[in-house]
Amino acid sequence: MSTIASTARPRTTASLLALTRLLLRSQVTLARLLGIAGLGALSVLLGLFSRGDENPADAAAEVIATYGLGILLPLATLWLGTSVIGDLVDDRLLVYLWLKPLSRWVLPAAAIIATFGVVAPLTALPLAATALVAGSSDVALSAFGAATLGALAYTGLFVAAGIWFRRAVWYGLAFVLLWENALAYAAEGSARFTVSEWARSILETAPGVDVEGGARSALAAFIVLPAVAVAGWLVATWRYGRADVD
Amino acid sequence: MSVGADEPRVVAEGVSKWFGPLVAVSDVSFDIGPGVTALLGPNGVGKSTMLRMLCGLARPSKGTVRLLGRDPRADAGVSRLVGLMPQQESVFESLTAREFVRLTAVLHGLPDADAAASGALERMGLDPSDTRRLPTYSKGMRQRVKVAQAIVHEPTVLVLDEPLTGLDPRQRADMITLFQGLGAEGRCVIVSSHVLGEVERLGSRILVMSQGRLAAAGDFRELRALMDDRPMRVRVRSDRPRQLAGALLERGLAVGARVDGDELLELDTTDARNLSRALAPVARERDARLYEVLALDADLEGVFRYLVER
Repeated sequence: MSTIASTARPRTTASLLALTRLLLRSQVTLARLLGIAGLGALSVLLGLFSRGDENPADAAAEVIATYGLGILLPLATLWLGTSVIGDLVDDRLLVYLWLKPLSRWVLPAAAIIATFGVVAPLTALPLAATALVAGSSDVALSAFGAATLGALAYTGLFVAAGIWFRRAVWYGLAFVLLWENALAYAAEGSARFTVSEWARSILETAPGVDVEGGARSALAAFIVLPAVAVAGWLVATWRYGRADVD
Repeated sequence: MSVGADEPRVVAEGVSKWFGPLVAVSDVSFDIGPGVTALLGPNGVGKSTMLRMLCGLARPSKGTVRLLGRDPRADAGVSRLVGLMPQQESVFESLTAREFVRLTAVLHGLPDADAAASGALERMGLDPSDTRRLPTYSKGMRQRVKVAQAIVHEPTVLVLDEPLTGLDPRQRADMITLFQGLGAEGRCVIVSSHVLGEVERLGSRILVMSQGRLAAAGDFRELRALMDDRPMRVRVRSDRPRQLAGALLERGLAVGARVDGDELLELDTTDARNLSRALAPVARERDARLYEVLALDADLEGVFRYLVER
């Protein structure tokens, strides 16, 4: 045999779908789904308690802003987002995906699609339901939008962190609890560098709702939050292309 | 892309890799052409790190690697022509063997991924219709699945890191036949192993690594002769060690001898084979009893140490 050549060229869409399916099957376990669904159910329960409030719309929006967008959304995304590629690194499985004739952006994109595809419905729907059970149907749509775009931004950040750091979940936890929910609000203007502030701005588009930390332009939030996701994806791609794979 | 039959497929020039203060690979140079080449060395001498650099999975700290004339680190397209079976045992636990191999076929863009996956699994003696997930497979079966995913796209360069680990003797023989067949087709097959006997059966060109360095390279028979001729130390326990030492030195079967106490004798020899043949007759001749004969550095580490230090 004088020459051997392999000329097959992978189709990007087929590869993206195959990787997304793989990541969903590998990472989305029953325990994780039940854990996130449980956190979502707690939000709905808190919404029920808001029914008796003098201003149920404001009360529901406060639950959604503080618990939903401040705790449920980032923690759910953190749980899945950091592990979707981070587990492949820890389990030394990345080698089977890295050595393929694919652009380096494909795997991080699949990780973002897989994570967002699970987290968005598991957080946005309970937060919309929280508003509905509180009797504030006006808030439901803005809660859904805020959670969806917030989930997108957090997904980009946490997928990048999962590629960049070992034990990224701990760094992510510190980021959520210390920065997003505390330190960023300690200094004037620094809250603009949080995802939750921009997500709350979308929540405030509901009529008559005024939540703490929602002072940004909602229109800008529709640009900023996807832009954060894209930035996370680019960083993840850059890091993935340069990392030594074990 | 096509490559001429005799052109080197894989070239390493002055390659080093360090992790902080730890030097895993030090100034290694070689080129590998078509056929089977074994990368031999004890565990932990840098074989896997070297293979990872050959595939582009790790960037050399110094030096260059070329795979089919291209930089495997910078050129993702070259991985179309490479198949890798990594050493680690982990596999995707949620997948069946067929799904795992099919995934590789899809990511390589094969037009009929299902047929390619089935073909590769059958070639490895596995049932493509098996619906069990990979964690239920034995270690030997998982090894064969890993080889199947490495060959599913018919790569020009096949890199196999300890592929014979965990296989029974028959599976091992079948696998060696497969590698030899792939090599005979003109593919470049690189097989790492820490077992001298395995490499002997591959009957291939060998690169010997020790302590991160390339200790020797060449045809297996040349290296085997070199290993057999190396100086060895043999410990003998006998009731007449002094008489035995004198007779063996006199006949040139030992180049040095040390007697320790009333029974213990340590011999240095450059002809271990003849020493082992002559020891019993000489002992009988001198009316000496032999209680124990032990080669002190016959293990693989000793062989590699010799190759490095010679």
